[in-house]
Amino acid sequence: MRYWTGAVIAFFLAIVQASSVEQFKVLGVSPNLLLVFLVAWLVIRGLDDVLPMIFVAGVTFSLVGLQSPGLVLLALLPVAGFGVLRELHVVHSDLILVLLLVFAASLAYELVILGSIMATGGPLDVSTALRATVVPAAMVNVALAPVVYGMMRFARPAQRRGQLSF
Amino acid sequence: MTARTLAWTSFIAIAAFVLMAASRLAILDPVENVTLDVTSPLQTGLSSLTRPVADWVNNITDAGALSEENRRLREENERLTNELARAREESVERQAAEDLAAVKQQFPEDTFLASNVVSRDSSNARAIIAIDSGTSDGVRKGMIVVSEGRSLVGTVTKTFDDYSWITLITDPKSAVSALVQESRSDGVVSGNYDGSLVMDFVGQGAAVKVGDFVTTSGVGGRYPPGVVIGRIADVQKTDQDLFQKVHVDHLASLSKLERVLVLTSFQPRTLERPE
Repeated sequence: MRYWTGAVIAFFLAIVQASSVEQFKVLGVSPNLLLVFLVAWLVIRGLDDVLPMIFVAGVTFSLVGLQSPGLVLLALLPVAGFGVLRELHVVHSDLILVLLLVFAASLAYELVILGSIMATGGPLDVSTALRATVVPAAMVNVALAPVVYGMMRFARPAQRRGQLSF
Repeated sequence: MTARTLAWTSFIAIAAFVLMAASRLAILDPVENVTLDVTSPLQTGLSSLTRPVADWVNNITDAGALSEENRRLREENERLTNELARAREESVERQAAEDLAAVKQQFPEDTFLASNVVSRDSSNARAIIAIDSGTSDGVRKGMIVVSEGRSLVGTVTKTFDDYSWITLITDPKSAVSALVQESRSDGVVSGNYDGSLVMDFVGQGAAVKVGDFVTTSGVGGRYPPGVVIGRIADVQKTDQDLFQKVHVDHLASLSKLERVLVLTSFQPRTLERPE
């Protein structure tokens, strides 16, 4: 049941990301609500729970977000890789872990997209790409992360009963 | 890492590559068309709902840029007012009639297909939009797209039955043969990752200045000649470089496009190498 819930949320978030979030420009880039949500879900629910959501979110976002189908899936895959850090308990504060993982996953996501553009004939202007898209996107996503994480923790009854971990 | 985790991760990686290959072979085109059919009303509705909020947020975050733009527009307004006053003294009516004739001559027998923008690429590095016209409306890959004010917007790069994708001129993979209207100096206008337009390969000796109009040159056959791209915003010239670097401000408001015109009468040509 929990997988279905997560998949439905991921599906609708992908549509919201494609239709609405791209209109919001901060530092010249749009936040990636979908990525932030997946990382927060990973930290709260674990790697096993987030993997089916990555699949649903990636496929949906590829189809409605005008990107090559499969590319977004590939760009979201590092989220699973970073999930290993959660299992290792290297950081004790969940919020700090979310911030770190969102920053790392955002860099990885943008670099995969950028790599695909450069590999298929785009300009090899790496410094402009880092300055204009990769780093600002990671910063904006980190700024959004506490809001998304806070809302998700609050939405879980078990967490509201005194297990909040900041 | 459990076996289940490993299995899911492998499945996602394989699915990603399979989907990319299927997309290259156009196997997924019907699926993408149906997906856009189903989700585009929802996307359009959500987009309309959130646009006022997005505009408000963007205005706050762009306060510095707006202030700078305001200053620039004031200066331009002053300059244009002065030019207008001079033009009046030089028989405005005759000049206006000539301008009108020139515009009509630019697209004498061309036919346009008006289309609505239904979706935008949500990645930060690309500049692609989707419109609600496709092959069933006569849209073909390679056709060019202009704004309602007739300045260049981009090219049709993918078509479905009812939808098409337009790669905007600001996209990093876009390159347009262009010339500076006043000096007839030619070059290539290309997009970049920061959404800017740069005209490259403009010779050191070419007389280009801020404010000059840049239009398509028609060289290469992919664009018709004479379509306005934008105005020169900045010229960088150093003795060490072979070419000048010319920054161009596009005329069409590409980030807020809601309706575009597809030039259906123009068929791009592929030029063959001479024997």
